[in-house]
Amino acid sequence: MRIIIVIFYFFLYLNNLNATPMADQEIIFKNLRCLVCQGQSVADSNSDFAQTIKLVVRDQIKEGKTEKEIYKFLIEKYGEWIVYKPPLNKSNSVLWLFPYLIFIIGGIMIFLLLKKRPNR
Amino acid sequence: MLSNLGNLILFISAFISLSIIYISFVNLNDGKTVLRKKIYQLCLFQSTLIILSFFVLVSAFITSDFSLMTVYQNSHTLKPLLYKISGTWGNHEGSLLLWLIILTIFSFLFLVYNKDHPKNYRLYTLITQNFLIIGFLFFLIFNSNPFSFLSPIPKEGLGLNPILQDPALAIHPPLLYVGFVGSSIYFSAAISSMLSNYSGKPFALSIKNWVLISWSFQTIGILAGSIWAYYELGWGGFWFWDPVENASLLPWFAMTALFHSLIALEKRNLFYFWVIILCIITFILSVTGTFLVRSGILNSVHTFANDPSRGLYILLFLCFLIFTSIFILFKKFQTNNYKINSNSKETFVLINNWFMIFYLVTVLLGTIYPIFTEVLTSQKISVGPPFYNTVIIPLVVLFLIFMSIGPNVKWIRDNFKNLNLLLKILAASLIINFLIIYFFKSYSLLSNFIIISSIFLIISTFLDLYKYSKKKLFNLSRLVSHLAFGFMILFIGLNYNFSFEKDFNLKLGDKKKFADYTIEFENINLEEFKNYKSVVGKFNIKNYSKNLNLVLSPEIRIYENPSTLTYEASIRSGLLKDYYITMSNIDRSEFYNIKFQKKPFMMWIWISVIFVSIGGFMRIFRNEKKIN
Repeated sequence: MRIIIVIFYFFLYLNNLNATPMADQEIIFKNLRCLVCQGQSVADSNSDFAQTIKLVVRDQIKEGKTEKEIYKFLIEKYGEWIVYKPPLNKSNSVLWLFPYLIFIIGGIMIFLLLKKRPNR
Repeated sequence: MLSNLGNLILFISAFISLSIIYISFVNLNDGKTVLRKKIYQLCLFQSTLIILSFFVLVSAFITSDFSLMTVYQNSHTLKPLLYKISGTWGNHEGSLLLWLIILTIFSFLFLVYNKDHPKNYRLYTLITQNFLIIGFLFFLIFNSNPFSFLSPIPKEGLGLNPILQDPALAIHPPLLYVGFVGSSIYFSAAISSMLSNYSGKPFALSIKNWVLISWSFQTIGILAGSIWAYYELGWGGFWFWDPVENASLLPWFAMTALFHSLIALEKRNLFYFWVIILCIITFILSVTGTFLVRSGILNSVHTFANDPSRGLYILLFLCFLIFTSIFILFKKFQTNNYKINSNSKETFVLINNWFMIFYLVTVLLGTIYPIFTEVLTSQKISVGPPFYNTVIIPLVVLFLIFMSIGPNVKWIRDNFKNLNLLLKILAASLIINFLIIYFFKSYSLLSNFIIISSIFLIISTFLDLYKYSKKKLFNLSRLVSHLAFGFMILFIGLNYNFSFEKDFNLKLGDKKKFADYTIEFENINLEEFKNYKSVVGKFNIKNYSKNLNLVLSPEIRIYENPSTLTYEASIRSGLLKDYYITMSNIDRSEFYNIKFQKKPFMMWIWISVIFVSIGGFMRIFRNEKKIN
């Protein structure tokens, strides 16, 4: 058992070594919708729009902005349609919380179903 | 001529469906215990006619008979024969005819294969199924008629969307439809089971194989679509959480939950109404999927055939289905007092369903939520891969652990005596994961958990295999599916973390160096084919440290009918990894945009999914053997 814990901590440590502090542009491109395409991300598209957005994002990374700040900037400019991960705000709260609510309710239902049985 | 013939057949089929419903109702109340022979004959006649009408349409496509609107809009004389034929179901009207084929064939086969079940149950199933058939026939005849006549007759057709001219996509719809539409038969059976009060084990036995058939085909169908997306869309991914892809995944979750619950219904007579609800949900999700795809309400890469009026009809039909089923369900619903021990297989069946419903709700909500925000707040939002990855993946870890333990737990009551063994398996998984990190590279914490839990599932399933092979008490189908599922998650995890991607612009004759790779843009050729022209690039890819030297030739295709540009990836598939390259022209420039990717274990993801579905097929054969 102790060995497991040691190993566990070891790979946690390894992970931290490789953590990149800089915003990763490829990941950002993948999370942005190409607004002039049919369901394509900026990373996957070659349209002029995608090229422009790529330039903008690269510039912002150079300026030292974080991933979140870049998304915020783009949302202000183009609306929430541009990001594939909708920000957690009032109108999206149902989207983010309802699945977990279902999961919790499901768990409670199973728990109650099992509890009903008197221990014989 | 073909137009008249086709229409005639469709009208006769609608008439036959009405007769089947009428005769079935008469048969219900005639006091006899057997079905009338006439019903069998009519059902056989019905499916034969629908198949015939389909062949009429196929022959219209083969002979390029442009007097038919559908053929004119989706075919062209210069197309290769294969794509003339697959064009038949590559469009909305033709694919609906495929729906009908499956509806009628399943209706007939269900009737024939369930002779030892009571008369009323079979008749009500038949009646419900024929209501569905009529619903779709009316839709076909009055809204989406594949045989509508066009005059004056055009000389040439408009052609098929080039990205649909592909072997994987030629077989993708039929496979998926067996899954989608196949679920209609257990929807009908569920309604019938409530109407005729036929429940418990015999009901479970009567639908078991049908659920498995649709599930196995659905799995393979999703795979075919995924493979197609991988090489045709040219982005290197195989799953984009696109609305249309989600539409095929939703019934899959419901089916998976269903056949696990069905085992509990068969063995322990538990969860009857839950099984009924799942049967209904599965079919309703299939129709919803069709609605989402056909109405064009969502922005998708896969939107090929949409028209709002179609959407409206399907939506009305869908509401009718939902309200009728809910009405019957409420009338018949009884609460049952189940006694379930927490350490029993029953609990794990519930846990499976718990997760499946969670996945289902997440994907459904993510797919339709943008519609709601747009209508309610006129705010357009996108729900894409990062949302699903954030919500779903952490819970996959837990699910895999339950999936490893569940199958070994006994029915009714068990005690966890093998906790020690589980810890050993966990230790082994941790060590393997650590070795991967040590020798290759490290990845995020979540990826660690995914890979550990999938290895955990793989090892425990292998141990089961070993244990069972000694006892000769085999349930190989389950082992195959679970093992393959574990491998699928493992390979997807590794693929995600070990993929390498480079995006750059290159001129003819230039070289690009990065990491250990050198890519040379050697030359470019214009080639002419039967129905398209192609700009073929030749790229030399070298990696000295790995002794790699290969030539890939991505294409830019120029299709004339309809005039479209498509970008064809060039892929070198290998046992361990795929090399993937696409090129695209940049306007007003002599540079080309090149995307180079190394995708490990792609082949193994496909193979795993094939084995997941093979497990399903094996179970069907085993069930059949048991009965005989």
